[in-house]
Order: sequence, then structure tokens, then C-alpha cells
Amino acid sequence: MPFETLLGAWVATGLTLFIFTFLYQDNPLFKLAEHLYVGVSVGYTIVKVYDTVIVRLLYEPMVNQGDWSLLVPLGIGMLMLARYFPKIAWLSRIAFAFIVGVGSGLAIPRIISSYILKQVEDTVRPLASLASGGGPTFTYNLLDPASNLNALVLLIGVVSVLFYFFFSIEHTGPVRVAARTGILFLMIAFGAAFGYTVMARMSLLIGRFTDLIEFADPRYGRATLWLLLATVATLIASGARRRDHPPGGG
Amino acid sequence: MTFAERMLHIDRRIIFLVIGVCTLLPLLYPVGLAIKVSPEVRGVHDYIESLPEGSVFLLSMDFDPASKPELQPQAVALLRHAFKKNLRVIGMTLWVTGTGLADLVVSQAAQEMGKVNGKDYVFLGWSPGVGSLIITMGQDLYKAFPSDYNNQPTRELAVLKGIQTLRDVNYVVSLAAGTAGIESWYVYGKDKYKFELGGGCTGVIAPGLYPLLRSGQINGLIGGLRGAAEYETLIGQKGRAVAGMDAQSATHVAIIMLVILCNVFYLLIRTSRGQSGQPRG
Repeated sequence: MPFETLLGAWVATGLTLFIFTFLYQDNPLFKLAEHLYVGVSVGYTIVKVYDTVIVRLLYEPMVNQGDWSLLVPLGIGMLMLARYFPKIAWLSRIAFAFIVGVGSGLAIPRIISSYILKQVEDTVRPLASLASGGGPTFTYNLLDPASNLNALVLLIGVVSVLFYFFFSIEHTGPVRVAARTGILFLMIAFGAAFGYTVMARMSLLIGRFTDLIEFADPRYGRATLWLLLATVATLIASGARRRDHPPGGG
Repeated sequence: MTFAERMLHIDRRIIFLVIGVCTLLPLLYPVGLAIKVSPEVRGVHDYIESLPEGSVFLLSMDFDPASKPELQPQAVALLRHAFKKNLRVIGMTLWVTGTGLADLVVSQAAQEMGKVNGKDYVFLGWSPGVGSLIITMGQDLYKAFPSDYNNQPTRELAVLKGIQTLRDVNYVVSLAAGTAGIESWYVYGKDKYKFELGGGCTGVIAPGLYPLLRSGQINGLIGGLRGAAEYETLIGQKGRAVAGMDAQSATHVAIIMLVILCNVFYLLIRTSRGQSGQPRG
């Protein structure tokens, strides 16, 4: 097995176990892994951004292909750095204005089309459909997203939730009924979201456990077992030290 | 303190232990519970299945290592399927922190299926901008990515022959852990350049994407590890996702039991306080 694969397995196993120690209590191993994670993430991002943006998208086209028009976006980007110099900080507003202007121009029409118009179109569906014989029919299958019953449920859900968030009039009488129905739909939505979140978190745990099981194999030098022992020993030593020298105890 | 009160004040580390055991045991001793394929996962599979050989499939791996357990199995299953169908595969990512992982996933799957970089597939890497990047790809793919991840000029790659813009791509699938992801590909890509779009996502963001599925804005959705397991079942190559399904079911049962028990204990405490005249809060 290549050395880098073996090293990667030991580092991944160690850091996973260090992070898991937080479930027992806060400790230096967890802090080490946490700080490493933040540092490595930022370092990786800086290197990738430098390589892609500065080298590949700016330097190489300008120097190798003579595409000097890239000096314009480079100049606008450099204006951002003017914020660090109070006397010329106002120059950075030009760059911000450019970003906000272009960003809004690109996003607003597309978002209105995708999130509002398309969704409204899908919400207001015909409540009856045409049967094969030509007459109107109403389909009741709850498991079919395209059924007429589901179109009705969707319509009631959207309207009642909108009533719940309508604060200009007091929620009494029929408005209260509609708003209460809206709460029911909201609760079901929150429940579904929570269920999916639990599933996602458990998947992450399964992913880490799968790796730990794999790295306990002799091919990886039983990394999981040795590092588990080392982690437990460090936790015991750290706990004993904390008992002898409590934090803030002088 | 009654038994119910003691149980409600139980050390949380015992609950962690229970969840840990429920996850570990099925991984060590799998049962092989049946996996039912949902229509939304089948939507993605069937569309890829319908594509003729040589069609262009773009897989955007919009996630970082934090979502690897859920989205890597999806990416591997999709790539295996696309390579098996002899599609031309374009890989890329909208997440800078996921670049190395995405490259690894594509190259490993390609190596496994005997595919050649530049001829059968290409990994374009990451480029900044998200919305503006997708729009640029829709106008000229080679302006958005003048070179691939290995710094090879993209115009010279055989795999990209005849492809000028996103309009020439037959199917795009975004595997998303958040924003940027499926929604960005719809808003700036599909809505404007009219290619077919499918999605895969983490469990956390799946409920928010179902409205896009129903309205036809995406033609399929692979949700979390469960979705990956369904896809692995569909292509007949069971991998890490299927292996994790027993553990997933066991932990779900454990959590449901814990929720029920907590509510029972809570009701017992309320009832006993009501009987003794104490405030119920």
C-alpha cells in the first residue's frame, strides 16, 4: 500500500476519534482537531483560489495569450483593497456598486421566473382532469404527486400558510380557522425537515464508522485500534491532570 | 425523584452510546434489509438509461468533504452508470473546498471502468462566480474553463468535441450540499439554456427541493444516503450506501423509541404532578 494512503488513513482515523471525544467532554484532543480543520480548510481555499483565479484566469491569459482586456476586471477587483486605506476607501464603493449591480441584474429576473412564476404555475393546477373518454374526472391517489387530490391539498396548504403569515388583520373567525390550518401544514413541513436532518446526521456517522472499520484492518496497520487506545489514554491523563490542577484553581 | 424523572435527566452520553452501538452493530453484522426504489430516484436513473451512447453528461459535484458520506456514494453510482452507458462525462464543482475530492471521485470511477481522461471524460475543476460561471458556460464553455483540472487546454480534448455551450449538454446532474447547487443550476442554467436537469442532495436540504421536483424544474432527485442506496440497487452495483442502510434503519428505530419514551415519561410526570396538586409546567 502506498505510504500516502497509509498516512491518510492514520490522519483521518486520528482526527475522527479526536472529534468524537467531544461527546464525552471537551478536551485538548478535540481542540487540536477543531483548529486543524479550520486551518486546513482556509489554507486549502486560499491556495485553490490563488491557483485558479490569479494564475489560470488572469496571469496565464494575459502573459501567454496577450488578453490584456482582463486588466479591467483586475482593476475593479483591486479597488476592493482600497478599503484598507482610509484616505482612498471610497474607491472600493465602485467595485461594490459593480458587484451589486451585476449580481442583482443577473439574479432578480431569473429568481422571479424560477421561484415565483414557476411555483405559482405549479400551485394553481386544474382541480379536475379530463378522463380518457373526454369527461372531467377527479383522481384521489395521494401517492401520485400529479393527482387532483394532491393539487387540492397543495392549494389549501399554500393559502392557509399565507393566511398564517398575514398579520394585518386579527386572526378571528374564518381567518383563525385558515391560520390554524396553516400551522398544521407548517408542523408537517417542520417534521419532514427534521426527519430528513436526522437521516442526514446519521449518514455522516455511518460514513465515519465505515471508515473506522475499514482502517481497523491489518492492511492499514490497525490504525483505528492503536489510535483508539492512544485517545483513551490521553483522555484519562487529561482528566487526571484536570483533577489535580482544576482550571482557574491557581 | 421518580423513575420517569430520573430517565428524563439521564446522562446524554448514555444516549450517544446507544446511538453509537445501534450504528456500529449493523455495520459489523449486516442484515440486508430490502430497499424500495422511489420514483424520484428512478427519474434520474431512467433518464440516463434513455441517453444514447456518446451523449454528454455533466456531473457537478457541489459539495465538500463534510458531506462526503452522503454524496460521494451518489457520485460514484452516477459515474458508474454513465461510464457503463458509454456517455461522455464532464465533471466539475461549484465548491472550491470540494475540488480535490471531486477529482478523486471522478478519476477513481473512471479508472475502475477503464475510461481515459480527455477521451472519455474530463474533470474541469472549480471556477469562481456560480451564477455568472453557469451563464458563461451557457455562452461559451471554453471561456468558462479554458483549461481542465490538469491544466490541459479544453479546446483540444476529444471528449468535448462538438460541445460549445451548455445547450450541447444532454443531461446535467448537480449533487448539492447547499447553495451553490441544484437551485443555481436551475436558475442560471436550465431555465435559460433548456437542458434537462436532475439532482442529488444531502438529507438536510432534500425537503426544500421537492417543490422543484413536482413542478418539473428537475426531473429526479436522489436524497441522501438512502437515495444513493436506491441508485446503487437500480444499477445493480451495491456499494457503501447499501451497506449503510441497515445502520440507518437501526438508528432511526432507536431515535423513534427514544422520542416515544421521552414523551411517555413526560406525560407520566405531568399526570403525577396533576394528582399531587403541583404545577404541571
